[in-house]
Amino acid sequence: MLRLVVQRLLAVAPLLFIVSVIAFSFTSLLPSDPVDLILGDTGTEEQHEMLRERMGLNEPIHVRYFEWLGRAVQGDLGTSYFNSVSVAGAVMQRLPVTLSLTAASAFIAIVVGFAAGVAAALRPRSLVDRLATLGATFGQAVPNFWFGLLLAAVFAVWLRWFPATGFTPLTTSPWEWLRSITLPAIALGLSSSAAIARQVRSAMVGVLQQDYIRAARAQGLSRRRVIFKHALKNGLVPVVAVLSFQITVLLGGALIVEQVFVINGLGTLAIAAVRQQDIPMIQGLVLVMVGLVVAVQLVTDILYGYLNPKARPS
Amino acid sequence: MSGQSQKAGGPLSGRARARRLSFYAITLPATSFLALLVVVALGADWIAPYDALKQNLLHALQGPSAAHWLGTDDLGRDVLSRLIVGCRIALIAAAEATSVAILLGVPLGLWIGYRGGWWDWAVMRVVEAIMSIPGIMVAIVIIAILGPGLHRAMIALGILFSTSFLRLARGVVLSEREETYVKSARVIGAPDRRILLRHIFPNIAPPLIVQLTLTVGAVLLAEAGLSFIGLGVQPPNASWGTMLNTAASFMELNWFLAIPPGVAIVLTVLSVNLLGDVLRDSIGRGIAVGVSPAAPSARFDAEASSAPSAPLPARGDEVLRVEGLQVVVSPSGGPEAPVLTELTFSIARGETLGLVGESGSGKTITGLAILDLIGAAGRSTHGSIVLDGTDLRSLSEPQMQAVRGNNVAMVFQDPTTSLNPAFTVGDQIAEVLQAKLRLSRKAAWARAVELIDRVGIPRPAERAKAYVHELSGGMAQRIAIARALSCNPKLLIADEPTTALDVTVQQEILDLFRDLQGEFGMAILFVTHDLAVAAHICDRIAVMYAGEIVEVAPVDDLFAKPLHPYAAGLLAASPHGASRNPPLPTIAGTVPRPGAWPAGCRFSDRCAYRRESCGRRVPLTGGSRLVRCLRADELDLGSAS
Amino acid sequence: MKPWIKTAIAAIAAAGLAATIAAAEPTGVFKYAEQVKLITMDPQQQSGSGVPYLRPVYESLFEKAPDGKNAPLLATGYEIDGLNVTITLRQGVTFSNGEPFNAQVAADNINRGVKLAVIEGLKTVESAEVVDEHTFRIKLKEADPAIIDSLCFTGGMMLAPAAMADPAIDRNPIGTGPYVHSKDASREGEVQVYTPNPTYWDKDKIGLARYEVWEIPDDTARLNALKTGQIDAGNWLANPQSAIIERSPGLKLIRNTGGLNYHVIISDRDGTMVPAFADLNVRLAMAHAIDRTAFGKAILFGLADNSYQPYAKGNWAYDPDLEGVYAYDLAKAKEYMAKSAFPDGFTFDMPSIPIYQSRLEALAGFFSEIGVTMNIAPVEPGTLARRSRTTDFAATNLVWNTNTDPKFVALRYIYENAAYNPFKVKPSDELLSLAKAGLESPEISVRGPIYQKMAAQLAKEAFLIFVANSPILIGVSEATGANPTVVYRYGEDSINLRGLKANQ
Repeated sequence: MLRLVVQRLLAVAPLLFIVSVIAFSFTSLLPSDPVDLILGDTGTEEQHEMLRERMGLNEPIHVRYFEWLGRAVQGDLGTSYFNSVSVAGAVMQRLPVTLSLTAASAFIAIVVGFAAGVAAALRPRSLVDRLATLGATFGQAVPNFWFGLLLAAVFAVWLRWFPATGFTPLTTSPWEWLRSITLPAIALGLSSSAAIARQVRSAMVGVLQQDYIRAARAQGLSRRRVIFKHALKNGLVPVVAVLSFQITVLLGGALIVEQVFVINGLGTLAIAAVRQQDIPMIQGLVLVMVGLVVAVQLVTDILYGYLNPKARPS
Repeated sequence: MSGQSQKAGGPLSGRARARRLSFYAITLPATSFLALLVVVALGADWIAPYDALKQNLLHALQGPSAAHWLGTDDLGRDVLSRLIVGCRIALIAAAEATSVAILLGVPLGLWIGYRGGWWDWAVMRVVEAIMSIPGIMVAIVIIAILGPGLHRAMIALGILFSTSFLRLARGVVLSEREETYVKSARVIGAPDRRILLRHIFPNIAPPLIVQLTLTVGAVLLAEAGLSFIGLGVQPPNASWGTMLNTAASFMELNWFLAIPPGVAIVLTVLSVNLLGDVLRDSIGRGIAVGVSPAAPSARFDAEASSAPSAPLPARGDEVLRVEGLQVVVSPSGGPEAPVLTELTFSIARGETLGLVGESGSGKTITGLAILDLIGAAGRSTHGSIVLDGTDLRSLSEPQMQAVRGNNVAMVFQDPTTSLNPAFTVGDQIAEVLQAKLRLSRKAAWARAVELIDRVGIPRPAERAKAYVHELSGGMAQRIAIARALSCNPKLLIADEPTTALDVTVQQEILDLFRDLQGEFGMAILFVTHDLAVAAHICDRIAVMYAGEIVEVAPVDDLFAKPLHPYAAGLLAASPHGASRNPPLPTIAGTVPRPGAWPAGCRFSDRCAYRRESCGRRVPLTGGSRLVRCLRADELDLGSAS
Repeated sequence: MKPWIKTAIAAIAAAGLAATIAAAEPTGVFKYAEQVKLITMDPQQQSGSGVPYLRPVYESLFEKAPDGKNAPLLATGYEIDGLNVTITLRQGVTFSNGEPFNAQVAADNINRGVKLAVIEGLKTVESAEVVDEHTFRIKLKEADPAIIDSLCFTGGMMLAPAAMADPAIDRNPIGTGPYVHSKDASREGEVQVYTPNPTYWDKDKIGLARYEVWEIPDDTARLNALKTGQIDAGNWLANPQSAIIERSPGLKLIRNTGGLNYHVIISDRDGTMVPAFADLNVRLAMAHAIDRTAFGKAILFGLADNSYQPYAKGNWAYDPDLEGVYAYDLAKAKEYMAKSAFPDGFTFDMPSIPIYQSRLEALAGFFSEIGVTMNIAPVEPGTLARRSRTTDFAATNLVWNTNTDPKFVALRYIYENAAYNPFKVKPSDELLSLAKAGLESPEISVRGPIYQKMAAQLAKEAFLIFVANSPILIGVSEATGANPTVVYRYGEDSINLRGLKANQ
């Protein structure tokens, strides 16, 4: 297992490097001059030049990149152009919020997607299967933010079961956290649960036709045991692959769903940074998000190795 | 539809009809909805009842009425008109982003795929990097560079989605590049560009179309999302996303505002996705609809009763006695067709009965029918399967479950697929012991190792911890046999247990069967298409053809003098001794598919001795040897040796 | 020191401490929600709204009494002599970091504000200098009858010397106020937390153990927060959410003194960026195209009055004759357009923040009737004022607090170097002379008619197009409404923290 982790980390290093180059060079393409952004129109020409010098903007881009990278690997992502808030601090402060939302929606997506997919696969072409497939097709067509609006209208504004907006940190109150995260997580998880359901169904249908399932049954093992032990573990393999992708999708979707429920997460930060052209913030956000995605991929790879012995390095 | 069903000239089978129906049930509404959208988008100015930007502040936030079918928004603008104008924006958005994605992704993908080398490596790493950032974040960053607004946001989405087109184009080039005709074209000296155009474009079109629909759906959702957070289409212009943005602030005053644009997005994306699904299915499967003609099963019920066979003579010491068994299947929900009819045979204690025939003759399904494991698509309808005095067909599922493993076990053809890849082989044997014999975990493991040792695998304790992919085929089959024998069954069904193995290994496995039979004393139903193998291990042989037994005889008698022309054909095609590749070439034609069997003697259309009377149903007759042929007595088919 | 003296001192100290605790032990939390995002906690770089973030920490030299009169706070008195304003300071005040507050610090503050040149109220200030330990003098460039008004707001807020030297002052405010900013408890972009200032000069006025300002730019979210009790009070503009507050049982909508006069500013009236804006006919056409009555009803939910001048009804500078001076008249507006050099219309970009979104959509609708296409360009909430001071946009939209002295109209919009005159347009002679005349006397009886004339001239030139004036709206919970210690600052969207106690 350790070997797998090390292997993956080695494989990830160039990816992170390339992402850092992209993030740095792309955001350096932004049309606005950071000095103008910081000083507004109040500064004099000398002030502009001084700041330019201090920020190292007169250096060639590759020099600036390596300086930035050098600090980034030490956890210093720079300071926002607009206030003295450190990028790493701002991102780390929002990260638990977005992670909460992503994790909760991933949980919902997996549970719902799995249940629907397995139920459908057990009885292909049955009513359950048709309903699950129909639901999955619909689920993938529904924009998460619209679904969120509807959920908020019904369950928060009308029934008042949940708060319509805001986010309570888990550390403040687990119960309030659950209440504040439920609707956004459902809204966000819907389309992923649909995607997972489809994947699980087709994987399980495939697995259930495998010889080893019939062989296990021929050995007199119960249907339940065969499905939930033998089939599920194999059926999970392609699902884990899609899961890693789905969590990336959820992370992106969280940025928009946060807006619906007015949650101060990375999305709110990202949109503000883009509007203000706050370059260090955008760079930091991109890096952190890729770091997250890579971490998720690492976890799913390990899971994959557990589920699929063939994928383990020997 | 497929040429096959048209050539047959007959009406479409029920299954094909059902498929075709659901094909149209999906594509027709989806296509017409999308067509409607295009029409509405093109004619928005004429169709919209009001100017979409014309506000009437004194009539703001009204519900649906005769004047405003979908009500008015916060500025008193007509929601229906805005929705209609939004169609146009959605269409422009989808067209722009998709075009950018294709124009950027496809040429670049083709180029790097063809060039390969450093360029390919570098571009692919960048693509991977972009794909590891959540899509919406990529779009947001690109919008940060380009600025917000419909066209710029769509360029951003186009860049984002171009990665999938790039990968697709590259993949097609890479696979086509290996094709010899491209290579030969290069040898002849055709310029690169011509090779690409002529050879690759026809191959790229189908997956491109599928990817296109996927992208259009994704673009529509992404555009709505970006507009919703204020980075896409800018108000007051109406896009469905911006309409939802407005609706979000007025949920408490007029929730209905959120409904029309949301429904419009859902229906559009749904239509595009459904169309994409259908396209993917048709392209992926070569539009293979309706290739499986299936006739109603009623004909066989009638026929089976019209020609009674002689009852099976009783033999002493029978373990299994199958009589008059009929099995029908209904593939993919179509009408049922019989695959086994009037199946009758018996096996004595410690005896090995070979079940021989070409593929498709129904051998495997016989084994599964005994275990009642045909699956959801099939069921046995007539006859009895008596194991040690108990009719298995009368048992409930839990009772049947107790029979499996304990009384009857099965070894399958390919050990690498009949053992679960996700568990160690020891686990899989121990599991059976735990479940069936109620052994403790520890005892079960010890017994499993013992069994592995018994089937002749060296270092059994170590091998028990192996996964099936770590074992050779022969070794895996030994494991499968060990598992089958773990509960000491009375009957072992071996379904082509040596077919997937190397010739040398085949022999060892056959020897193992014989050894184990001596030790455990079980009867074996040995299913094989290979008469040579059957000759090696069986006491008696039953020859199957098209779902019925055509001849049963002790192995030496059969080899000495086959009575049925089909058995004779099999023998002729199978030289004595080990033969690896027995496709039985000397019998012209193939086994007819279930449901397409000739009336009367089912072999009649391939039989050189066919007579007019063969058009009637033929019973299985005889005493010590049974045969299903009207001319069995008059023909001298000779011996195989 | 003899032992008995020691004991006595200790006893007195203990008694004093006990007395302090008994007198004003701060308890409870009060939570206020601000609609604009926090940009900076440096009052002297603060250009728009967001004063509620500053008030807990920073005190100004003067403040507005509930009747609108200027009252001393950190100052104890002032004297105006021509261009010299001499201000005496309260003694015994220290900043929360222990640095003393004295004339040198006060002068440094004013000089810093002048140098940063963000605060428009200090535009008339030449410099400040120390007179003695507790007296300093502000020298004016020109007569300024409203200098003390300016010192009631951000211009008069006093920063600790350490804060002024801190490059990260925007998140590390240090003042003399009753509360100190707790950086650890605050969450950026979500809530700023303030705790009692242990060195405060008027301890009795500290009534809370904790004061929080929540940053909730989303109107609906702020409304939900108020409904659920997450906040005790918050500020709103006239919008659907404030209309809902007014309707909701258990919530109260306070109409605070002063109004927010929403107006369109045509910054580029020389036509550098949008040539059409140089055409008076175009500007008049736009002014006439706005149906203010419908706007007030639909967009501001009846919470506003039509507006044609900077000042609100009842203000000494208000001119009733200007009512309807560019009333909604589509035919007239079209006529002006036809007369202009741009009869086929033109296009321009208008910066927008979410809270103005529907207002701008409505305006875009009005302007489209006369062939003018207004594109709405979103800018990040909290940056509208700052962006409006740049040449990024040829026109912008802001609110004018009607309680501010009319001289600020000139400081903001009229002078060539006015804050919101990014294109450095030269004012007309009429406007310039009226603006200057208004400064010559501190007497409102003299200034009133001058500013009325200035408003009339503004209406003629139509580069400031006033639309609707709505009161400052503060939404409060039932408990806050019943809290007798809640005092709304005159003309400001905040609650006076001195003496504020938690709700019962």
